[in-house]
Amino acid sequence: MAQMEGNTQPESASQQPYVFKVVLLGSSSVGKSSLAFRLIKNDFKEILPTLGCAFFTQMMEIDGSALKLEIWDTAGQEKYHSVCHLYFRGANAAVLVYDIADKDSFRRAQNWWKELENEFQPEEIVVILVGNKTDLEASREVTLEEGKAFAESKKLLFMETSAKLNYQVTEAFIAVARELLRREEENGGQSQQRSPSVDLKETARARKGKCCQD
Amino acid sequence: EALCYIAYSARLGSQKDLGSNPPIDTNFVSSSLILSMLQATFPLFIKKKIHVTFLCFRNFFPKRTKELKSAVHSAPGWKLFGKVPPRENLQKASKIIQQEYEARIGRTCKPPLPSTRRKNFEFEPLSTTALILEDRPSNLPAKSVEEALRHRQEYDEMVAEAKKREIKEAHKRKQIMKERFKQEENIASAMVIWVNEILPNWEGMRGTRRVRELWWQGLPPSVRGKVWSLAVGNELNITPELYEIFLSRAKERWKSFSETSTENDVEGVSVADREASLELIKLDISRTFPSLYIFQKGGPYHDVLHSILGAYTCYRPDVGYVQGMSFIAAVLILNLEEADAFIAFANLLNKPCQLAFFRVDHSMMLKYFATFEVFFEENLSKLFLHFKSYSLTPDIYLIDWIFTLYSKSLPLDLACRVWDVFCRDGEEFLFRTGLGILRLYEDILLQMDFIHIAQFLTKLPEDITSEKLFSCIAAIQMQNSTKKWTQVFASVMKDIKEGDKNHSPALKS
Repeated sequence: MAQMEGNTQPESASQQPYVFKVVLLGSSSVGKSSLAFRLIKNDFKEILPTLGCAFFTQMMEIDGSALKLEIWDTAGQEKYHSVCHLYFRGANAAVLVYDIADKDSFRRAQNWWKELENEFQPEEIVVILVGNKTDLEASREVTLEEGKAFAESKKLLFMETSAKLNYQVTEAFIAVARELLRREEENGGQSQQRSPSVDLKETARARKGKCCQD
Repeated sequence: EALCYIAYSARLGSQKDLGSNPPIDTNFVSSSLILSMLQATFPLFIKKKIHVTFLCFRNFFPKRTKELKSAVHSAPGWKLFGKVPPRENLQKASKIIQQEYEARIGRTCKPPLPSTRRKNFEFEPLSTTALILEDRPSNLPAKSVEEALRHRQEYDEMVAEAKKREIKEAHKRKQIMKERFKQEENIASAMVIWVNEILPNWEGMRGTRRVRELWWQGLPPSVRGKVWSLAVGNELNITPELYEIFLSRAKERWKSFSETSTENDVEGVSVADREASLELIKLDISRTFPSLYIFQKGGPYHDVLHSILGAYTCYRPDVGYVQGMSFIAAVLILNLEEADAFIAFANLLNKPCQLAFFRVDHSMMLKYFATFEVFFEENLSKLFLHFKSYSLTPDIYLIDWIFTLYSKSLPLDLACRVWDVFCRDGEEFLFRTGLGILRLYEDILLQMDFIHIAQFLTKLPEDITSEKLFSCIAAIQMQNSTKKWTQVFASVMKDIKEGDKNHSPALKS
């Protein structure tokens, strides 16, 4: 629902928050929606398969700066690939999710990286590789080292998580947020939302959006 | 039997006026019976939604109420509770509860025990009366006459107020019951018309104004499956035998897959192969209407859903399994027998619109979206411009709606009603429903920005009612100035074909 506004509403929001578009990519049932659900609701439940795209927003405060993540949670099935392709345009960050107990999903995450590489300049997008489901340690197929090695070779952020056990999920998104902010400060505000869907009216709209939820 | 009686009488007990009137749609009775049993078994999981939901199921107990007892023993509904024989389970539970209850009662007070709760109720006002009307304790000055009178008056007012409230509530309850009874009567009488008049003369009557109007009101649950089957048709000429053939083929593939996958660890098997190998179907089945607890492992329809989806991937390897299909198959299973559900499923997915979507044929999907936008602009121009200003394209919300024919996004009973008219009017009704939803929430949506609109439309409020939605859908005109849906679609096809050279080939998968 639209009410999924974050609860970590920053108090120092005297200036308008930075808005970043974050897209979740990965095979089906690796836990993309579960990661989002854990981040936003701090809960875990059976989630219906995502068709097309689902949307969430989360407010965060990092070192006194307020930022709003607009999370685009895409469909995982390979057949929806062409649809997902549309959705990562204009993204500021991408979370490439795989299931540590499914080698194939790791390959698929690597493929997603290739696609991003074709679409974006390295400085245009923050990418984190996330190995989810550490709760399935017993049937692990992708070692921590493998994941790390790939991430390092491509200069990606990396984290292993468990949406089920609430292990490092928030940390992963905070890492992304930090990196986004760091780049933002480096570029002096150039890297924020370039997607045509967001314009300069952000503050007004954000406020409007809040009052009309429910 | 005992259980059946308990559940049934519990229901009758709570609605005596209803229960003693026989002309209720038997389907309704049986669904509410199941409901009450379910409530007893999984009290935590039952939400009010399910109650309505069961109304749209095909007959769990196809026989008449009188024969309920015997029907219960063989009815598939019994599998509802999974592997545990539910009868024993429930009987035990109720017995234990009763024992506990008796033990407690026995300890606290001696026999004349029935309906202590009710008695308490009567006592409460009595005790207050005593308090108010009684004289003050002797160590305090006595009430003056005026004061005593005033107290008396105040007390009378309070009692009158309470009585009024009670009467009002009773009236309201009665009204609701009346409404419900009327609804049931409508369903029952509509059912008679469908069974006796329309179905025997299907071809001649399906297009008549009277039938179309009755159809719009929603199909009675007991004929729903039949009407859907007839309306969807069987262009593909699939027979139950053919279904069996594809099913056995699917079973072979499952078997060989599970053997190879344990041996050499899916190494070297491509993603596409894996998906084709039906792994994903397994994952998705448990994620199909999880709140109903009937498609999950051990649930009564788990295997049926698995079979239909598996058989379909063998029947149409060119389409394969696409997420979203499990919801469509599930809704059909709830209303039709297995083979009929498969036949309807395959034919439904063979319709041009469904084929375009399930093949994820992006260029075709864009044509449907473009046509949709023509009617969007015409019907809801203000909202259309609002969406445009945020570059919010219809794919954001329509993909989920169209892929599952609204069965994932709307409450199940409402989705069934959309399916009813979709069977009558074809694909354009899917898009008309979409516009109806937008119209229903127009005022809210106009206040929202991109991300909130996207959030809102991909997860609609759960309290959406069929009256409101259908009145909004009815207000949507599917006649663009001079053109109808099909004509607009044809012209969009032509336009895009002509401008094809400028279009990015990247849009196609």
